[in-house]
Formats: sequence, C-alpha cells, structure tokens
Amino acid sequence: MYIGIDVGGTSTNAVLLENGLVRNSATVPSSADIITSLLEALEQIIANVSSESIERIVLSTTLITNLIAEKKYAPVGLMLIPGPGLSHGYYQYQTDTYILSGAIDYRGRETMPLIDDEIDQAINGLNAKGYKKVAVVGKFSVRDNSHELKVVSRIKDLHPDWHVEMGHQVAGQLNFPRRVVSTMLACATRDKYAFFVESVQEALRSRGISGSVYILKADGGTMPLNKVTGIPIETIFSGPAASTLGVQALIPPGETSVVVDIGGTTTDLALILSGQPLLSSKGVPVYEQLTQVRALAVKSVAVGGDSLVQRVGQEIKVLPERLGPPFCLGGPMPTPTDALRVLGLAGVGDAEQASEAMDMLGSPLGMSYSEVAQRIIDLVVDAIVQQIKYMFTQWEQEPAYRVWEVLQKRKERPEMVVGVGGGAAGFITQIAAKLGADPVLPPYAPVANAIGAAVAIPTLQVDLRADTERGFYTVEQEGYQGKIEKKRFTEEDVLLLAEEWLKKRAGNHGLSNPVDNPEITRRDVFNLVRNWSTTGRIYDISVQTPRGIINYIGAKGGCSDA
Amino acid sequence: MPKKTGVIFFPAFDWAISPTHPEREERLLYTRDQIFEEGIMDLPQIHEFAPRLATLKDITRTHFCVPQVQNQVTEAHLIAAGSVMQLGDSVVSGESQNGFAIVRPPGHHAMRVVHGNRGFCNINNEAILVDYLRHQHGIRKIAIVDSDVHHGDGTQDIFYHDPDVLFISFHQDGRTIYPGTGFTSELGGPGAYARTLNVPLPPGTTDETFMYVLDNLVLPVVKDFQPELIINSAGQDNHYSDPLGSMRFTARAYADFTKKLKPHLAVLEGGYAIETALPYVNLAIILALAEIDYTNVKEPDYVPGKFKESPEKVAQVHRMVEHLSEIWANKAQVDVPKIFGTGKYYRRNKFIYYDTDYIEEKQKEQVRMCPDCPGYLSIASQAERGHRTSVRVYTISIPFQACPSCQCEAYDIYEQAKKQQEYEFVYLQDKLTDTYWTYAKNKRQEWITEGQVE
Repeated sequence: MYIGIDVGGTSTNAVLLENGLVRNSATVPSSADIITSLLEALEQIIANVSSESIERIVLSTTLITNLIAEKKYAPVGLMLIPGPGLSHGYYQYQTDTYILSGAIDYRGRETMPLIDDEIDQAINGLNAKGYKKVAVVGKFSVRDNSHELKVVSRIKDLHPDWHVEMGHQVAGQLNFPRRVVSTMLACATRDKYAFFVESVQEALRSRGISGSVYILKADGGTMPLNKVTGIPIETIFSGPAASTLGVQALIPPGETSVVVDIGGTTTDLALILSGQPLLSSKGVPVYEQLTQVRALAVKSVAVGGDSLVQRVGQEIKVLPERLGPPFCLGGPMPTPTDALRVLGLAGVGDAEQASEAMDMLGSPLGMSYSEVAQRIIDLVVDAIVQQIKYMFTQWEQEPAYRVWEVLQKRKERPEMVVGVGGGAAGFITQIAAKLGADPVLPPYAPVANAIGAAVAIPTLQVDLRADTERGFYTVEQEGYQGKIEKKRFTEEDVLLLAEEWLKKRAGNHGLSNPVDNPEITRRDVFNLVRNWSTTGRIYDISVQTPRGIINYIGAKGGCSDA
Repeated sequence: MPKKTGVIFFPAFDWAISPTHPEREERLLYTRDQIFEEGIMDLPQIHEFAPRLATLKDITRTHFCVPQVQNQVTEAHLIAAGSVMQLGDSVVSGESQNGFAIVRPPGHHAMRVVHGNRGFCNINNEAILVDYLRHQHGIRKIAIVDSDVHHGDGTQDIFYHDPDVLFISFHQDGRTIYPGTGFTSELGGPGAYARTLNVPLPPGTTDETFMYVLDNLVLPVVKDFQPELIINSAGQDNHYSDPLGSMRFTARAYADFTKKLKPHLAVLEGGYAIETALPYVNLAIILALAEIDYTNVKEPDYVPGKFKESPEKVAQVHRMVEHLSEIWANKAQVDVPKIFGTGKYYRRNKFIYYDTDYIEEKQKEQVRMCPDCPGYLSIASQAERGHRTSVRVYTISIPFQACPSCQCEAYDIYEQAKKQQEYEFVYLQDKLTDTYWTYAKNKRQEWITEGQVE
C-alpha cells in the first residue's frame, strides 16, 4: 500500500492507496509543527492497516518554504569567484559577500588564478562576523570545480566545524547568479532538514513502519528521505506539484488539461500537456530571488473564495486580500463565496446573509442581488481565464535554440478544466465554458494533493557534457567532473556513459526498476574545428527516465470506499 | 516600467553549411555558455523573445531568388530573418526600447538577385527587415551601420538607389579582404548620392581609430540624416582575435560603439573567433543596449595598450574621414549629370562572385532617372556555374516610393521581357502593392507572390 501526505499551510491531507484505489483518506487542520500534523493525518488513515503492508510513503511539506519565509536559519556568508563579465556590483544578496579574484572560462580553463591571501582574508572576515555557514560559488564552476574545491579545502583547514556548500554540487546548470542563491539556500536549510528527517524516521520506526519514505520535490519528482541524498531546497513549493500529480492520476492519461486549485485568496494554475505536467523552463523564484530549483510551471492568481469584494465608485471589484470568512459564514464583508451561495452554486453558509451581502454592494447601483452575484462570478472567472490563456501563450513563446524546436512548436488548448481545492466547484463550469473545454471535478478532489504525493515517482535526468578536446566530462546533476579515458570517444560512448550515470542515480533514488528505456531528450554534437581541421567534439547529451506516475486512480473500476 | 532590450538568441545548434565550415553548429556555443552563465536573460532590463519564421513572401519582397525562394533558403534562414522581424515589430510597437538578434545564418553579403550563397549568406536579414518595416509599419527613413570587418556589399547593393536608406559600412580595406569592394568612391546611385558611405580601414586599425571614425563621421552623418530607425549589422570580426580579419578592435570598443550609436536593432553578422571574441563581444553589446555597466567585460588575454598603430595609417584614416564628411555635407550641391551622365536611365555593369557556391554573375543594372521618385530598377543577370549551363534572368523592381509612371513602365517592361523569351525567368517586384511575379520561360508559367496563377 502507498501513502501520500501533503502538509499544507491550513490543512494536512493524507491518503492510503491500494491497487490503484483510494482505500482511506483524512484531512486534519495543520498545526504549527509539521511533524505533529503529519503524524495525526497518518494515524487516521492507517488505523486498521498492518504497518508491514505499507510499502511506500511520500511526503509533501511546507518545511523548506516556512524556513525560508520566516528566515529561521543561521546566516550564510558568501565567497564568490565571478571573474570578468557582469559588474560585481550586481551581486547583492543581503549577506556578507566576499568577491575573490580568479576566473574559469566556458570550457573549464583557468583564465585567472585564485589569490591565497584573499581567501584567508575572506575567511577571517566571515569568522570575525560570526559566520559558521558559507556558500562558495564560482562562475563556470560547473565546467571546472577546482577553484571552489580549493577555497573549501582552505576553509576546512581553518574551521573544520563550518558548514560549507559548493555551487557546482548544488546547481549544475549554467547561471551563476541563480547558482549563488540556490547554494546559499541549500546551505541555510540543510541542517534543519536533517533534523526533520531524523524526527520523521524516528516517528515511523516507533510505529513499526519500515516501508521506504520519500519527499516530494517542486518538479513532481521524489527523493528518498535521508540526510545525505539530494538538495533540500528542491522540496520547496511541492504543494502545487502534489495537486497537479493528483489530477494527473485522477483524469484519463494523455489529456491536455488545466488544473485550477481555488483556495481562500489565491488560485493556483498548472498545465498538463498531453498527459504530462508542464515544467517551468527555468528555476523558480524563491521570495523574489531567482534559483535553479526546477518546478512545475505554476501560476498564482490573487482571487479565491474568501477574497474581499468591494464597490469602488460605480464598479464592483474583487480585491487581492482577505478580511475574514465569507459574509454568509459570519464574516465581515461580501466574498465570491457569498455570490456562489446566492446563485445556488455553493451550499455553505446562510442563504439570506449571502443575499444581504450582495445587496450591500448592489443597491446603490440599482442592481439586484442575483445580478451582483453574477457580476462577481464573472470577475473571478475572467481573472482566472485570462491567466490560463496567458500561460498557454507563454509556453508557446518559449525560446528555441534549434531549427527543429522552432518547427515543432504547436498551439495547444485545454480539453479539460479540472477543479481541485475548496472553492473550485462553483467556478469550474464557467471557466471551462469560456475556454471551450470540459469541466471536470474529479472524485477525491479535496485530497488530490495527497494522492499526487502518493503516486509520485522520480523522473531522473542526466545532462552529460563531454569535451573530447580537453578530455573531460561533467554530469550536471551530480556536480561530477571526470576524465575521458578512451582515445576515440564517440557519440555512442557518450550515450552509454550517460545511461550508466542514469542507472547510478536511479539506484541512489531508490528506483527499484532498472532504467530500461531512457529517453534521450537532447543530443547536441559540436565539431570543434581549429585552423580548418577537426580537433575534437563537444557532446551535450540529456537522458531521462520516462516521466510518469506510479498509477492512475480508479482505472480499475471507479470509486471505491471514500 | 522602463522599456526592455529585446533579445532573440538563435544559435541554430542543428544547422551548418558543412561540418567544418565557419558557419557550423559550434559558432555560438560559447556565446550561449557566456550569456547563460552570466544570467543575462534574467536581468530585469532584458526580455528574451522566441524566434519566428519569415514567410516566403517576406523574402520575395526584398530578393529575386533564382529560380524561387525555396531553392535558396533553408528553414534556418527563415528563422534568422523572422527573428529579426520579430524584434523589429517589438521595437516599432514600443514594447522594447531596442533589440539584438544574435542569430545565424548571417546575411549582409546577400544581394538583391540571389543565385546562391556568397560570403556565407543567402538572404539579407537587415534588408528583409527594412522592407518589412516599410510594408508593415510605414517606416520610411532608415540608417544601417555595418560594423563587420567585411564590406556589407549585399546591403549596399540592395539600397544603392534608395535615398531613404543611409548605408554606412566601415571595414577592413577591400584590397586585403573579401569581398574586395567598399571603397570611398562607392557613394550610391544618381537618386541616392552619398546615402552610401564606405570607410575602408587599413589592417591593424585599433579601437582608437575606430572611435575616431565613429565620432567624426558615423555619428554626425547618422544624426544629420534623421532616420526613424537605426540598424547595426553587428559583425564581430573586427575583433583582434578574428581568424579571417586583421583588425584590432576589442569587445569594449564594440560596446562603446553600441552605446554611442544607440541602434534600435543590432543584427549579428560575421565573427568567427568563436571562443576568443564572440562570448565577450555579444555580452558587451547586450549590456550596452540595455544600458548596463559593461566595464567588467574583457577578454582574458587583453591588456590595455596591447595594440599600437602607425601614425601614417592613422593620418590616412583622418584624411579619409575628412573627405567623406565633405561629400556628405555637400551632397545637395553635387553635379549629378556630371557624375552619372544625362538621359532617361542610369546604367552600370556589375560582376559578382559567389565564393561559397563558385558562381560568377554578370549584371546589367538600369535605373530610371525619374524626377518624381527614385525610379524603378531592372537587372539583367547571367550566372555561370562552372560547367553547367548558365542561367539568364531579368528582374524589375518597383520601389516603395515609386511614382505611377514608373510603376506603369515597370509593368510594361515586365510584359515585354516575358515575350522576348530571352530569359529563363522574369521577375517583377511591385513593393507599392506588395505583389510579386515570377515568369518561367520553359514552363510558360507565371507565379504571383507565393501562389500560382496559370
């Protein structure tokens, strides 16, 4: 049996899946302590289940999000090696930052050496200010990590107790400023994450649960819950990924749909294109700082069931804030939920109070309460529809760097609008109508996020770049840099090497099935020609395990006991 | 919010002229690495646009491709041209303050008539953009400044008789480098005198002289011309490390040039020092366009004072700048009949060599010296391809500014040329109505724009 638990900001959902059916589900209010919420929900769903039958648990939590939002971590100092390029004044990260001399170029060659005295001065400076956490990041360190290694070895000599993170191990893609932020956040969160891991493992052990435990990442993949594997920062924003995977499990495979998760004051949107959740092309911003953390392409609209509705002059406006619950539930001001109540699209709260709320807005404008209600619904629906259209346009306008990519660009529109979350039911039909799609409210929509966690499996990728002229290769995801031993290193050799690394990664990530059919997602070959003769090749190869989920829900015959 | 600098980066990682040709997949690889690692596309001042495809009609508006557009362009060419147009739209609509198309394949050696590839170019991205902007957005006066080490002979050819396009090219002296043209005496046709200016620079010219030419000739002339739009053909092979050129410009100078010229659109042309120049020059140009400090961009091996010029060469350039400035200042007083002769038409013969495709083309160009407009233009062209039979074509072009009488006469000439049966193909470009005709003798067929009428 599989378990999925999503600890969200307001509530914690858990499901127990057995043979593709939802065997049990639970929702409890989230408390301040994540472990408490998690265990409370867990206890409810495993009440009548033997602990040995639990094969797998996947957690999605706001742990990292909260840590960063509340800045609950010790300060991280920065030692950066940016070299020439963008002016160093651009590297502002609101912490003590030491810029070191030294430079590596795009092919991993040193173009400027480090200066030992500068390194020592920076370490002394950080020490004097009381730092014990340091992120060391160099421009092009993913092409050659020797500068980062050298600085870190000096730090370890002087302060063996310091916690140090290196850019090339945290963020392998090209983008130095994002690598700095990712590395800094990885450094900030690593020990708290380790503490969380220990607590969860202890709690599960004491309940006799020995199945494997994973944590959900922002890209919808999973990583094993242990202290050493993976980068904790990648588990940030796993909530939207959980909902989206849940929807993927609840709708027929292969459909293009938009997931609309309507909450109290925000609506989260995600796209599933031909059955696969869309990943954002770049890393996500974390509190306005751009990172290299990959995530699903999610967009938030500042409207929801509890949004404040006000009359501004002759106009009715839905504002991006919440003053309390809906009027019909004893709140202070009218909300979209009151409008739904009036039109009979929601069953919560008091009908008369809902009408009163509409009258408050409408009578000075000479509008009936049902006219007001319809106007409010239109405003909410239009705001959401506009963002959905924008998301599709943005996806179509992604840059392309190869002829074939430009030629295969296609226009897609959703076939389904799938509603999840508390407020979805009342709006989803109208949103779908405006998009010419079918509205879907799947069974178990309220616990879709926990289902998403339960069915998540890692999509593992290996981006391997080999430079035969220089005789080395790098593996982006592992921060690995190795020598090419073979004299003639062909495209086939590179593919084999990439697949080998993929298998290794799969092992580390607890993927039980061997990687049979790795997908080749990129295969760039560059002939290096110097003085009119070919001197080598650069191969840029990406392989990944097939994307998917562990199973679809209800595929064997609809709903079971809910 | 202040407007952004639009960038289209289209390195065409899956396109090459041939595996070892300078125009191969690797050309923009390290530029990609540099601008991505710097996080340039994330800067709030930058907006990265997706490339788009130009249509066949967009190509036909500018070129006479023999026999047809499809025979001369690949999809990569359509994407390069389309990307430039995309940025053009974005600048004209006011969405972007300026734009940089870092695209390949390049285009500034492609002339009006296209029999094949010359100087790595099949179609002229900047010229296609100019004609598109005129057609789509009604823009009239445009200045093109070509900063490639090679003379922008294709662009010069296309706008030689157009008084509304100022074309300035500075480059390594044509006696020492391909394509062997671009001398100070090439100044435009009778209706567009001094709208073409060429500044051939001696090999070894450094940043200092580059800035002298810029400050004392290029900038004042462009300012005086008062263009609605400035385009920079941003070739980067004047760089000191370029394997094909022999000049001594630095990335920093390219950025200073960009900052001073303030082009609305920069379009990558040549530049084959793919490791030692392009990553730095492209980065510097982007930053300069976006008004971001570029003083920390430098080539790893550059030290100030690395290059020196001989005082005689410098003095020679100063004299040339003075000479060209005078020509520009006195262009209105010039005695046109004395230079170009009298009569209804101005005629000249041209010999064009296609270095990539080994084609030799002979052209008889004729432009009507019309008092009311720049006059329609016709070219009889014959191309020899080694042992294969030569191709003879006749092309007629009616410019955007054409008067009714020129337009009428051009159509008459087209009908006559069709009847003569002397040419394999006869073409008519009517830019006034955006209609393009092709007549094929052997099939006795005629095409209009992209469709077939008979």
